[in-house]
This record gives sequence, structure tokens and C-alpha cells, in this order.
Amino acid sequence: METSYLLGAIFIASIMTYFTRIIPFLFFRNREPSSLIKYIEWNMPVMIMVILVFYALKDVNWESYPYGLAEIIGVFIAAFVYLKFKNALLSIFLATLSYMFLIQNIFVV
Amino acid sequence: MSFFSIFKMTIPVLMGYIPLGMAFGLLLSKLLIPWYYAFFMSLFIFAGAGQFLALGMFATQATILEIGIATFLLNLRHTFYGLSMISTLKNFSWKKNYIIFGLTDETFALLKTNEVDEEQREKIYLIITALNQSYWIIGSVLGAVLGNVLPFNYKGIEFSLTALFVVLSIDLYNKSKQQKPLLIALVIGFVGMMGFPSDKMLILSLSLAAVILILFKKGLQNGN
Repeated sequence: METSYLLGAIFIASIMTYFTRIIPFLFFRNREPSSLIKYIEWNMPVMIMVILVFYALKDVNWESYPYGLAEIIGVFIAAFVYLKFKNALLSIFLATLSYMFLIQNIFVV
Repeated sequence: MSFFSIFKMTIPVLMGYIPLGMAFGLLLSKLLIPWYYAFFMSLFIFAGAGQFLALGMFATQATILEIGIATFLLNLRHTFYGLSMISTLKNFSWKKNYIIFGLTDETFALLKTNEVDEEQREKIYLIITALNQSYWIIGSVLGAVLGNVLPFNYKGIEFSLTALFVVLSIDLYNKSKQQKPLLIALVIGFVGMMGFPSDKMLILSLSLAAVILILFKKGLQNGN
């Protein structure tokens, strides 16, 4: 691949990525955040996060064995451990470990 | 807040970014692109899905214009993150530009759920963003250099990001205590996962969530 092509592509991709992240700050730079913005700031994060959970699971194949069981169990462990012990690291660690064990040993496709 | 306790907060991202970054580097080396491009891409672009997409487009020799448009559309979701960070970053110095630059899914998640006092906030946010990016860079360079010679089976370790999102969802819900947005997001997420085209799932779902949130502002506010 040509160097100029790669550099040009990386340049444009970095500009575009930064642009998507800075848009809201450009728009609301000189204004007090309106009540609508405050309302969005208050409610949107939890919605984004919940949607990200589903996003992370979007490529799971639910129709054939093992029907996403490893993922469902993993999510359940993450939620259960967190609700029970209030420890984010422990929850993520146990959920990931269980998931890795399940897909490497139990639900081997 | 000590550096170590900030580092501890970023461990879930570390566990997700190293393997994901390695997968990215691996793919890059398979396209016979020199390893230092992995470094440049992770340094200047810093977008997980965006960088994978770029590799895919390199492989098909897409034009630079096409790459620009596709990257913009894929990363448009980050606009929503910024939207819910406006007043948080309002009084930061020019350094906030780095935080905005580094506002990936995971960085956003960490920043949004951290209770830190006003005075230390800028410093802590900068460190979190820089740590996250360094994990991503290290992972992608490792993957590009080492390729396939890894000694252990780390298959599935990327689930730590899913688990992180689950934990942060619970956390954010506990903070806002708003049931209706949570339920709406659960429905949208489920429908999106099952029904939306995989590559547009996130932007479609987030847009839908934003539209519903704005359209039903009255009902959603009064109901709580």
C-alpha cells in the first residue's frame, strides 16, 4: 500500500473522528446549557450505557448452539456480583473469567 | 486522588483495550502494513471500531473520501457523549481538547460514572483519558509486532468491555433513579440488537433514544 494513501487516510480518519467528538462543544461554547441540555445530560448516559451493552452483544448468534448462553451467563454474573458486592472490578473480573472459561471449555463450537 | 486509585478505575478498560488493540494490530499486520502505522493510527485516530473499519477499507482500496465519510458516520455516536459532557467540561482549561479527542465509548463510560470533586476533576479526567489511550496504543503495537505467537489462550477476554458496560449501566441508573429512560433504553437496545443492521446498530439506537427522550420530555420528566 502506498505511503501517501495510508497517511492521507489516517489523517482524514483522525480529523473525522475528532470532529464527531467536538461537535456539541462547538455548538454550545458560548451559551449557558439550556434546560433541555441539562435534561439530556441527566437522562442520556444511562440510556447510552444500556444500549452499549446490547451493542457489545450484537454479533452473538442467538439462533444456533450455544444460543448466546455464555454471553447471557456472563452478563448475569456481572450484574449479580455488582449488585451483591458493589465492587466493579470484582464483577468485571469474575464475569470475564467465567465467560472465557465457558467459551473455551463448555460451549466450544 | 492518588495515581494508583485512578489507575485502578481504568483496569477494566486495560483488560479490554490490550486484547482488542492486539486484534487490531494483528489484522493490520495481516494486510502487510508496517507495524508503526498501528502506532500512528492509535495515536491520532483513537477509535476502536473506527480503526477496524479503516483497515477494512484499506483492504478494499476505498478512496480517502469514502474513508472520511464512513468514519464520520460510524463515530457519529460520540456526538451524544459530548452532548452529555458539556457542563462537566465547561470550566476546564484548553487541555479539555485532549479529553474530547479521547472520548471513546469506554473513556466516556469511566468519566461519566466517576464522582470526583470539582478541583481535581480536570487532572483526573486527563489521566484517565491518557491511560486509556496508552493501553490502546500498547495493545495495537503489540498485536502488530507479535502477530500470532502469543503463548496463552485469551479468547473471550474482550467480554470485559461488555461486563464494564453492564456495571456502569447499573451505576448510572442508581445515580439517576429514572426508570422510564432505563426501560426505553432496554427496549431500544433489544430491538436494535435483533433488528437493526449490525454495522449501523449503535448510531440508529442512540438516535432513536435521543429522539424519544426529546419528544417525550414532558412525560418523562413528570413521571419521575
